[in-house]
Amino acid sequence: MLKRVSLIATAASVAALAIVASAVARPATVAASSALSCKKGVSIGMLAPITGPAASIGADQLHWAQFYFSQWDKNKKHVKIKLVQGDTQLDPAKASTVAQSFASNGSIVGVIGPAGSDEVQATAPILKKAGLAFASGSATRVSLTNGAWKGFFFRDVPNDGVQGPTAANYMASALGVKSGDSVMIVDDQESYSTGLADIVGQSLAGKGVKVDRESISQKATDFSSLVAKVTSSFKVVYLPFQLASQAQLFAQQLKAQGKSAIVFGSDGTFDSSKFNVNGSYISFFAPDVTTIKADASVVAAFHKQFPGATSPFGAPNYVLAQMYSSAVTTACKDGKITRTELRKDFGKVSLKSTILGTPIKFTSNGDLAGAKFHIFKIVNGKYETVA
Amino acid sequence: MDGERDQPQVGVDEWVASHAERREQRTGLVGRVQDELERLPRPAFYLAFGVAAAFLPVFTSNGYIVRVGFDTLLYMLLALGLNITVGYAGILDLGYVAFYGFGAFGYAMLASPQFGLHWDTLFIIPVVVVATAILGLLVALPSRRLVGDYLAIVTLFFLQFFVTVYQNGNSVSFFGLTRHLNITGGPNGIPNVDNFDLGGLKISSLKGYFYAALITFILVLFVVYLVDRSRTGRAWKSLREDSLAAELMGIPVNRLKLVAFAFGAAIAGLTGTLFAALNTAVFSADFDVPTVIIIYAMLILGGAGTIGGVIIGALVVNVSLEVLRTPGHATWIFYVLVTATLLVKIRPWRWLVIVLGGTIGFGYAAHAIISSIWPSSVGGQTSVGGGLGTFLHGWVLHPKNPMMVGNVTFVILVLAILALTLLQGWQRRLAMIPTLCLAAFVWENRLVVEPSITRLILLGVILIVLMNARPQGLLGSARVEIV
Amino acid sequence: MNWNLFVTELSAGITHGCVYALIALGYSMVYGILKLLNFAHGDIYMVGAYIGLGIITVFGGATNVHVNVVLMLFLMFAAAMLGGGLLGVMIERFAYRRLRTAPRIAPLITALGVSFFLENSAQLILGAQQQSYNSFSWPSSPIALNGFGLPAQVRVSYAQVIVVAGTIILVIALTYFVQRTQTGKAMRAVSFDREAAAMMGIDVDRVIVVTFFIGSALAGAAGVFNSIAYQQVFPTMGFQAGLFAFTAAVVGGIGNLPGSVLGGLLIGLAEAFSIGYISSTFSQAIVFAILIAVMLVRPSGLLGRAAVQKV
Repeated sequence: MLKRVSLIATAASVAALAIVASAVARPATVAASSALSCKKGVSIGMLAPITGPAASIGADQLHWAQFYFSQWDKNKKHVKIKLVQGDTQLDPAKASTVAQSFASNGSIVGVIGPAGSDEVQATAPILKKAGLAFASGSATRVSLTNGAWKGFFFRDVPNDGVQGPTAANYMASALGVKSGDSVMIVDDQESYSTGLADIVGQSLAGKGVKVDRESISQKATDFSSLVAKVTSSFKVVYLPFQLASQAQLFAQQLKAQGKSAIVFGSDGTFDSSKFNVNGSYISFFAPDVTTIKADASVVAAFHKQFPGATSPFGAPNYVLAQMYSSAVTTACKDGKITRTELRKDFGKVSLKSTILGTPIKFTSNGDLAGAKFHIFKIVNGKYETVA
Repeated sequence: MDGERDQPQVGVDEWVASHAERREQRTGLVGRVQDELERLPRPAFYLAFGVAAAFLPVFTSNGYIVRVGFDTLLYMLLALGLNITVGYAGILDLGYVAFYGFGAFGYAMLASPQFGLHWDTLFIIPVVVVATAILGLLVALPSRRLVGDYLAIVTLFFLQFFVTVYQNGNSVSFFGLTRHLNITGGPNGIPNVDNFDLGGLKISSLKGYFYAALITFILVLFVVYLVDRSRTGRAWKSLREDSLAAELMGIPVNRLKLVAFAFGAAIAGLTGTLFAALNTAVFSADFDVPTVIIIYAMLILGGAGTIGGVIIGALVVNVSLEVLRTPGHATWIFYVLVTATLLVKIRPWRWLVIVLGGTIGFGYAAHAIISSIWPSSVGGQTSVGGGLGTFLHGWVLHPKNPMMVGNVTFVILVLAILALTLLQGWQRRLAMIPTLCLAAFVWENRLVVEPSITRLILLGVILIVLMNARPQGLLGSARVEIV
Repeated sequence: MNWNLFVTELSAGITHGCVYALIALGYSMVYGILKLLNFAHGDIYMVGAYIGLGIITVFGGATNVHVNVVLMLFLMFAAAMLGGGLLGVMIERFAYRRLRTAPRIAPLITALGVSFFLENSAQLILGAQQQSYNSFSWPSSPIALNGFGLPAQVRVSYAQVIVVAGTIILVIALTYFVQRTQTGKAMRAVSFDREAAAMMGIDVDRVIVVTFFIGSALAGAAGVFNSIAYQQVFPTMGFQAGLFAFTAAVVGGIGNLPGSVLGGLLIGLAEAFSIGYISSTFSQAIVFAILIAVMLVRPSGLLGRAAVQKV
């Protein structure tokens, strides 16, 4: 009896799949120049690791973008923008499948994301072929803006080529790292981290500093084994982590063991609620969002809609959503919008003031114009700008 | 005639003997269809599936659907390979995707700028498949000494070992003697892998890869079918059922285990090359434990040990996961499935009417009462538009700030559903009414808002429910336990 | 000989190993009774950690705890163990009970389904963000920061002491329970031969429920231990820990309780020493290579007995 039921169930599910398939069938790779009317509103796709290993970062990025669009849609005069989420689970293969779905979805005119540099490389051919602009708030590999996807790929965070040398130079000039000293660089085996670690390591090695490269997994919480390796000849420990909590743990365990090495974190660790061990340094490309007075109301409204902590990779996506909405408004002036039109308008958007505290504009390559890194020191649990 | 059938025959098992009776019980149209279907040889079904699948890119030019089809075919291939090891030889191989990754990285190393090699695909595929099979043999060697769960854990170790090598293989120096070599590209993977180039025939479009995957799958399916009917296949099945008895019968158990491993590994390696070629890049993220879990879920759901089960399982799991990404589709499927389950499960008819009517009425009543007390409980948005949306707006509450309420009611819903399974008879049916309303509330306000998380929750629930309802899988056959 | 490094690695390894051992004990107990690999066990550990976090928040949050820290610790453990145990019992009752006679792989997939469900429900309700016990800032007794100095200039923090001491207490309690009480005897009987035990009048269902309760309570306690020492709580923490603990249980000889403890310690120490002495990048690969070697030398695990196959 059950076998009969399962036969029927199988036939029914196949039929259902056929129905659903025909229901979702839309014309193929939508031509980049096919026009969409702005009256009913447009969609922006978002590629982020919402579940999976990087869920804490991806969910946060999603929330910031959702927050912006929910505020934007409140004003009835604005073109209605819907955010379509696509979970990549930080897996480039899954990211390409989701990118394909965005490419085939006629109402999507632009994409925020993907988050990881690997995912950008995997999805770029698909998104470029579909004529979609895609802007990432966290992919920092230098080679992504070397011209292959010019006009299609943008990012509103500076790349590793800016951050790495800034950190290395600061260590040499202000933290007293001289030739013959040792520096431990610990990466978390993700490409963001290893890229930065490589650049800083090379830069320091060029100055004659002995670099000890270590790596841990993003899930690791016990660093006492590595801390034990930090002897008195180590002046600085550089932690290009994506999770501020890991940097905090490392710094705490370093202090607990009585080591005197200074902890230096990258922009992934920039979170005063999580990483606040006194005497540590961090590099970031904008001032602290929570210290900018103008942001206080925005941050408060965000926390009301999405309670819980946030990460430094989240706010750049708010800015990207802002830029997209500005570009959509420009493109929709004539009542119609195409992907190509939006792409061109997006590249030209220039925001004078953003919640990141700096004006945001793209270079012709898609990088952030005028990118500069600030160095912060943690004093009494608060971040103070020192360079 | 009747008298003869009543007498239990000497030497024939009761259950087997009653086979003819069970066949006679099939009546009506469904019975006729079943009879005809039983007469068809198996390969007819596989061919029918192949033809149906081949029409997919013809009926739709939606790139996403073709891509999902390709992904599903890859999963089917992997599940087919795992079927050999788990379903036929009965070995729990938890490290299966290491072979998948080996095939993918192998192809990438031989057809990319990594080492400057750009071999013709017709050379690469046999090389990779044979290499993966040899690797499978090596990994299976401990199976001589280890049994059951201990073998499973060693295969898991191999997987983790490989994952670490893939992820950190960008500066490997052999015992410090050679300089640091970049073998697997580390976390950055190996990009710019070549497309398939079969002696001049280049495959570079999505449709091309879909057909390549389909043809590969059908070929492998036939090979597996032939092996299934051969001596080796029968030997594997007896090994799975009782390895001690098989050994006593003179079956070379150890050799069979090695061959099963190697065969499954070879299929995985082949699939890896397809994967690498379509994605034109390989990263280590795909070849880890979550992928193993998904493949096992597909295999067992469909029915381990059967070939058709592989197809059904992969279709159900992968297509569900993809379709549930979109809130609109997910909502329709949710309500249709719930209503269909009620239709099928509740007998007699008057109870069905009571439950459905009660649910609708209860919902409207609750909506009216609560919205008059708290006006902010109807300010939110529905998940779909159109007719269904209007109905839902009136039937289910949509609070303005649904997060906190949604979380609490989610927990209450889970407890309510568990309590429902404890009740019986009319109590259960009456309790269904508020539970269904609560489920609709949670769905609208919390679950459908986060489709990426919800689809995984639903996958978990589907696995639990289906395994409890039918432990042998959709197409598997219940094993007769002789005590 | 760098004693400092050695002793630090040793203490780190033992602490980590104790956490793995506690989770592995739960795996072993359930496997011994039901021959079921409960993949959802790691998620019970995660729920225990969140329960502990909830207790801290109720009493004022990490920075201004209202009550005495010792009392709060006690409450955290009690709540986590109780909560974890209840969750384990519920899972057994609703997900596994019908599958007692099914082929072994069916409850395995069901366990995976439960694991998916728990992890993603936790992310839905509690958020994907990593939350912190922040036990460094508990007033009146800075738990993780201070400790005492050992001869080789190594500092051992109070948190590590709590973890190790707590594990020892729990393991002793468990051993006493299993060896000396009636229910423990019943558990051992059921794991030896379920049908014969039932024929002897033992209520098999009740014994299974008790086993799940105790095993899951241990996992819950492990969650609190881990987060006191290492601060972090996030929805997918159970996956990794569960994998390591499953490994520990099998390496020690699955079904064997002292073996699980030994397996957990072995993994913790192997991890710590390979990070310290060989390479942190390849430490995982080295640990697994060691474990493969162990399994080849002792095919039934370190303390496992080769199962006698009855024909």
